[in-house]
Amino acid sequence: MKVENLELPRVEGEARLELFWKDGIIEDAKVCIASVRGIERVLVGRHYMDALVITPRVCGICGHAHLIASVKAIEDALGIKPTEKARLVRNITQSLEVLQNHVKWFYLFMMPDFILLEERLRGLYEPFKGERWHSAIRIASRITMGIALFSGQWPHSSYAIPGGITSEPSVKELTSLRQILLELKHFFLSYVVGMEEAEFVKCLKEGSWRKLNGDAGLFLELCHREGLLTLGSSYNRLISGGGLYAPCGYFMKKVVHGRLKVDQIEELNAPSYSGAKPVRYRGMPFETGPLARQLMSGNLMVKSMHREFRDSFAVRVLARVLEVWSIAEAIELWIERLKEVLHEKSTSLGRFPSKATGIGYGIVEAARGTLIHRISVRNGNIQDYAIITPSQWNLGPRCENFLGVAEKAMVGLKSKLHAQMVLRSFDLCSVCTTH
Amino acid sequence: MRVFWLQRLTCCGNTHSFLNYESLHILSKRLEFLYHPSLSLKAQEEAVEELIKSGEGIDILIVEGAVRTDEVETRELCKIAKYVIAVGNCAVYGNIPALADETVCGLSYRFKERKGLLDEGFKSRSGMPVINLSGCPAHPEWIVGTMLMLAEGIKPELDQWGRPKEFYSSLTHWGCTRNEYFEWKVEAEELGSKRGCLFYHFGCRGPLSYSSCNTILWNGVSSKTRAGTPCFGCTEYDFPRLGLWETKQYAGIPAELPIGVSKRGYIMLSGIAKMFAPERLKGEG
Ligand code: SF4
Ligand code: SF4
Repeated sequence: MKVENLELPRVEGEARLELFWKDGIIEDAKVCIASVRGIERVLVGRHYMDALVITPRVCGICGHAHLIASVKAIEDALGIKPTEKARLVRNITQSLEVLQNHVKWFYLFMMPDFILLEERLRGLYEPFKGERWHSAIRIASRITMGIALFSGQWPHSSYAIPGGITSEPSVKELTSLRQILLELKHFFLSYVVGMEEAEFVKCLKEGSWRKLNGDAGLFLELCHREGLLTLGSSYNRLISGGGLYAPCGYFMKKVVHGRLKVDQIEELNAPSYSGAKPVRYRGMPFETGPLARQLMSGNLMVKSMHREFRDSFAVRVLARVLEVWSIAEAIELWIERLKEVLHEKSTSLGRFPSKATGIGYGIVEAARGTLIHRISVRNGNIQDYAIITPSQWNLGPRCENFLGVAEKAMVGLKSKLHAQMVLRSFDLCSVCTTH
Repeated sequence: MRVFWLQRLTCCGNTHSFLNYESLHILSKRLEFLYHPSLSLKAQEEAVEELIKSGEGIDILIVEGAVRTDEVETRELCKIAKYVIAVGNCAVYGNIPALADETVCGLSYRFKERKGLLDEGFKSRSGMPVINLSGCPAHPEWIVGTMLMLAEGIKPELDQWGRPKEFYSSLTHWGCTRNEYFEWKVEAEELGSKRGCLFYHFGCRGPLSYSSCNTILWNGVSSKTRAGTPCFGCTEYDFPRLGLWETKQYAGIPAELPIGVSKRGYIMLSGIAKMFAPERLKGEG
């Protein structure tokens, strides 16, 4: 057996991949994530409000999701509800963060791999040079501007507070945001799927993913040629914590909607090769992320692809890409509703209580999937803080009974590049995985 | 200018802050990005190997994230770089990762002590010490602005923490839209409003932190204080302090006063200011 130890470029943070080869086939794979920063420990003993500043620092690309998970956990522990206005604004900024992530991930993290297969793609996707690479960054930074309109800055704002938000947005912000969304939709239609809106919506309704043009079409064509339409499947068990626009539930042979039972989620001890702890739901590994969400919300393109190829590489990637459209549509609805409640107060609780006691959960859908924060507060101070990140579900290591989700997806592949691509299709984030 | 970007213990926030820079496409025509861990096609090992083989060295080495006190490769790369830039509070002071681990620090500092990875007298090939761009994260204009100065052959003047004065000689407080409330001591009694200053009740560090957040806006449009969030002083060595949302007070007076203000002066002025504060600043308005 040949063992190969690879360093992975183009991921968030540092990660290594260990491949075990036999007769030209990957027999086993280990995702090794070493660096742990100890953020949960830093929180213990601090006032609970500090969590709103510190937890976003778990991750520079999904810090906002951490902020929202944190504030929800605090609200749960304190028994407070945000105003509707604040809830809508948070939904919007959290979703915008997912959007910028998806765009960056597809164009900056995923597509460059194909250059190694086809040199002609350099002009489009080469880092710092490719034409599309640059337009993707530009639109991503427009989206982050949309977040900052409400939150003050991106990355790392702390504008969500128990009961609401610190900012007081007005129609001016809403109209700027509408403009940004139109730009994004334009980008999506002209580059990502290469279709007029009416045509795309029709395809979406029919579930005819084969008709996609643009970069998504090119992607599918490349996958077809490389066999990636069928490769890279894992357990085909998917889970979503719900919220945003996709309902909560899981897929195991069929879609089951319903509440996520937090008491059935288990964090096991990390094996020696990884700093991350495996996460199991009812004792089993589940994949989380856009594919799970798109199945829950019934995206017909994704459903029909999934029926044909299960949770393969291509389906996983396409689900993330198509989610861009669903989210943009959801945001537009929230904007409409927000206009009606703009006069509401930004927070139901202008001053947070300095002393409070309780235990609370915050469950949100981050770009990469279900993110869970659990806080335990006593007399205003944090007694215990636990974070389960989406990457832990997907990239977490094996346990006694099961390989990790990504590990399983790489078994049986015949190429090193394919293995790396499959791993990257989970939107690899090592900073989150270990925090 | 050949730029090499390294990441150590980081959340990658500075990378994403940098990617917000408005005209990256023009920038990448002026600067050659040899390597960036989240963006390049190749892996770091390969990039470092190529770099050593080429013998051409690095013009700008950017380090993002905190380091460990015994990191050989980072130290070696610092030596062959013309300029070294530590970007983000982790790379400058150690920040959050250093709170949890004693062997973690920044390039020059561990919090306020000069106990970083590099020796106190460290100079890069140009003769300059490490250029520190503190902030959690650093603003894209500070990062790109510094690189552009170097590309133009300008060596930025640094403050006592090794930060370019161009970006770190003014307080967050400057340009804050709540300044008039501060002057007249009209305090925000609640969060969630455009009105009132956040200094007295909500721990705003604006008058105690050097950063240009309110003059070079974030994402071109806003800042923490504009969004009603207090400044947490994330450009300073003591970020993140304990009790970030509260102002410690002794006998009703903030334990720490704005830089350069005496306690006596503060008491006198604030009493008068409060008394004569214009009506339009008070109440909901
Ligand atoms: S300084 Fe802040 S933004 Fe920078 S790496 Fe550290 S936590 Fe992330
Ligand atoms: S909110 Fe902070 S930065 Fe703004 S005026 Fe008050 S003290 Fe200064």
